[in-house]
Amino acid sequence: MIHEQLAWYVAGPVLGLCVVACRALFNGRLGVTGGFSELIVKLRAGSARFDWRGWFVIGVALGGTLFLLLAGEPVFHGYGWLTATFEGFWGGVAIAAILTVAGVAIGFGTKTAGGCTSGNGLSGVSLISPAALVATATFFATAIGVAFAIEAVIA
Amino acid sequence: MTAGRGAALAVGVVFGLTLCWSGMSDPEVIRGALLLEQSYLFLFFASAVLTAAVGQALLRRVRARALLADEEIVVSRQQPERRHVVGGFVFGLGWGVANVCPGPIATQLGEGIPWALFTMTGVVVGILIFFRRGEKETEPASDGHEKQSARPQPRPRIREEPSGVG
Repeated sequence: MIHEQLAWYVAGPVLGLCVVACRALFNGRLGVTGGFSELIVKLRAGSARFDWRGWFVIGVALGGTLFLLLAGEPVFHGYGWLTATFEGFWGGVAIAAILTVAGVAIGFGTKTAGGCTSGNGLSGVSLISPAALVATATFFATAIGVAFAIEAVIA
Repeated sequence: MTAGRGAALAVGVVFGLTLCWSGMSDPEVIRGALLLEQSYLFLFFASAVLTAAVGQALLRRVRARALLADEEIVVSRQQPERRHVVGGFVFGLGWGVANVCPGPIATQLGEGIPWALFTMTGVVVGILIFFRRGEKETEPASDGHEKQSARPQPRPRIREEPSGVG
């Protein structure tokens, strides 16, 4: 069962309920990037007394581990278009470099915009927050544009 | 607050498991959606937003207090600023290339996928650059704290601009 993609009309509402749970428990806005920055800020200060955002994101990672245990293997092998395009040792080096740079853009961009796909996209949009709507429209449009540009180059 | 710790961890596990089970930690699934070849992500996203909107509206309707924080449930809505567009654009570039956003990066790490180490390193560097620039936290732990810190300021007096300057 777990090897089949969960139906969207089950998966979507479950994620939505996670947003509601964070609101009901902590009056907080569910967001993965907020959790990452909580971990980073506290660890740099030499503390492990994370607030709920830090424990939430640790839980998200453990959710991945739980999936691995239930399914017996990760949901995918290789790494999408990157491993399909770049091969061999130097290909691997190129992928590592591309992913690291993309990660910097993801970390810096989401903090600047005040949220990622979960914080702005899910939580912010569900509150009809104008700032979250603008940020979400911008990152969706940009990512779609980039995906089409890459497709045009590698195809 | 141990109860809060456990509750946050549990919500996170449900969130992460669902992300994996729906295929969101697979870059190919994200790419298929961004190339507008698969409708799954959009239906999934829309149903999540709708559920969250209804649930939070109900919480506010009954004027609920947060169960593990001593405050009434309030939400903050912000007006768009330049940073929302700039940040959204920079994030979109990274998302379009790596086909992961922060949630899937966390679940990939939990699944033991080595490539995620590079993306995660990048994210940590990106967040550190953000704070190094002296920016303040954009994602507070609670919307109530934000409201408290935004106490009504005394109405600013109208000051006359000094003339003859500039």
